[in-house]
Amino acid sequence: MSDARIIDRGYRVYDGVRRGPRGATQSLIKHTAQRVLGLRRPTRAKILPILTAAIAYVPAIVFVGVAALVNDTQVRTNVLPTYGAYYGFIASALVIFATFVAPEALCPDRRTGLFGLYLASPLTRDTYLIAKAAAVSGLLAIATLGPPVLLLVANVLQGIGPDGPGEVALLAIRVLAAGSVIALYYTALSLAVASMTDRRAVASAGILLLLLVTAAVSGTLVEGVGLPDWVYVFNLNVIPFELAFRIYGEPGNLPQLSTAALAVAVPAWTVAGAIVVWTRYRRLRVVR
Amino acid sequence: MPTSVPAAPAVLVARDVVKRWGTTTALAGATVEIPKGVTGLLGANGAGKTTLLGMALGLSRPDTGTIEVLGLDPTTSGPEVRAKIGYSPEHHSLPPDTKAFDLVAHLAEIHGLPRRDATSRASDALFQVGLGEERLRPIGTLSTGQRQRVKLAAALAHDPELLLLDEPTDGLDPMQRDDMLSLIRRIGTDFGIDVILSSHLLDEVERVCDSAVILGEGRVLASGSLSSLKAGIGGWVVEVDGGGDELAGVLRQGGARVEADGRHLVVEDVAGPAPITTAIADLGLGLIRLEKRRLSLEDVVLDGMGR
Repeated sequence: MSDARIIDRGYRVYDGVRRGPRGATQSLIKHTAQRVLGLRRPTRAKILPILTAAIAYVPAIVFVGVAALVNDTQVRTNVLPTYGAYYGFIASALVIFATFVAPEALCPDRRTGLFGLYLASPLTRDTYLIAKAAAVSGLLAIATLGPPVLLLVANVLQGIGPDGPGEVALLAIRVLAAGSVIALYYTALSLAVASMTDRRAVASAGILLLLLVTAAVSGTLVEGVGLPDWVYVFNLNVIPFELAFRIYGEPGNLPQLSTAALAVAVPAWTVAGAIVVWTRYRRLRVVR
Repeated sequence: MPTSVPAAPAVLVARDVVKRWGTTTALAGATVEIPKGVTGLLGANGAGKTTLLGMALGLSRPDTGTIEVLGLDPTTSGPEVRAKIGYSPEHHSLPPDTKAFDLVAHLAEIHGLPRRDATSRASDALFQVGLGEERLRPIGTLSTGQRQRVKLAAALAHDPELLLLDEPTDGLDPMQRDDMLSLIRRIGTDFGIDVILSSHLLDEVERVCDSAVILGEGRVLASGSLSSLKAGIGGWVVEVDGGGDELAGVLRQGGARVEADGRHLVVEDVAGPAPITTAIADLGLGLIRLEKRRLSLEDVVLDGMGR
């Protein structure tokens, strides 16, 4: 008996499910997250995402271990950071991600003409940007929410966390608020600069420059020229972490800067970044 | 009892469409109905082809006029229209570090197919366009011809009702071009997908299309089936042994349109060959050749452009 088989490779009409614009948006979120993380890409594309995750989580794991091994309350208080101060340990991870990894979400699509192909699909410019922002902010949130949640859970389990369900719930809300604010802030900042160029390296340089220059100029204006403290709201490098301190009810590193100013400035910069991206993509000519 | 067969609905209907980009008028009152089948969109650079395709995809709105694609208005139902369209752009730049298969599967997913169906159909589409092992190579390592096939597979994978192909043979060598045109023809006939093929090459439209739309300076110069387009400008080719100018004069007096080049004349707007033979006899000229003019699409285009 022969093993030969006839395999029909003729064209087949598709009559299955079509998921429409919502499905298209979900697919783009997943694809963007995979691309940013370097999945299905060369090994070198995975290095920075792994480094970011390591910087974000290793301190939390170490602190959980210290809390478990050290019973002396005095030592714990001196060694373990507050929730607000934890962001100081992972600031470099967030800056690395926002500067060198996140631009991958936007820049290559324009450089390679993929953006034009997306716009020839059920996606619109708006749903495209929503998907990109959701992917980047979702990944950033893993770094900004995960470690504090880990600390919170470990502390509660070891009986050194906040007392009572009410306090735990309040702290959980603060963790959620601080993590979300920082993730959205860096998403807007990173995508705003990335929307200006189709070169990822140029975008990375631009973001880094923006963070360094605003820090240097605002510091000089306040401490050198003597301008009022609220000028620190132009220090894009520190204001999200300062707002995180205030969300946790801690004074932070710039106590002279009012909480009200921070509460206005951080969302304002986030919205400004989003408007820049949206405006830029409204006007962007598609390569066809 | 005979029953009337309703006419097949047009895949694209544009009425009095005007579109300006700044001070440049891309479309200046274009009105056209593109029927089912394979249709060529012909025109020189700047004729308005890409603008019309962009409007069909709902990516830009007409300043005035209306456009309808597959019975829907792309300006208000863009995502719904685009879900039914497969589009292959003119440019060749695709993500260089992505495998051909991954790109085609991803774009099928973006067009709404669930992951499993998208991967299955991506594999089929790449096979249909003739890509075998190459489908697992990064696109950056593929030749221009292979990239054109990847774009076509990406446009096909979600089983569109209408395929928009923008210069699909650009950058191909003669053999690849031949293969691509055969494939496009097969998509229109065997696969049952309507195709609008934008091209500036007359011979490829003539080879694969059932009908054509000729655009020039933002206007529709002519449209219809290839046979009707050619029939629209007929005429006669005449060769006499001398006196071509006199013959031309006589025929013009009779209302004919005549292009004379020495002994050779092209005569249009005459009621058959009789007025020509009569004029030749009256002038006492010797007739060497008299035959119906055989037209190429180029003649139709040039006629449409008034040349």
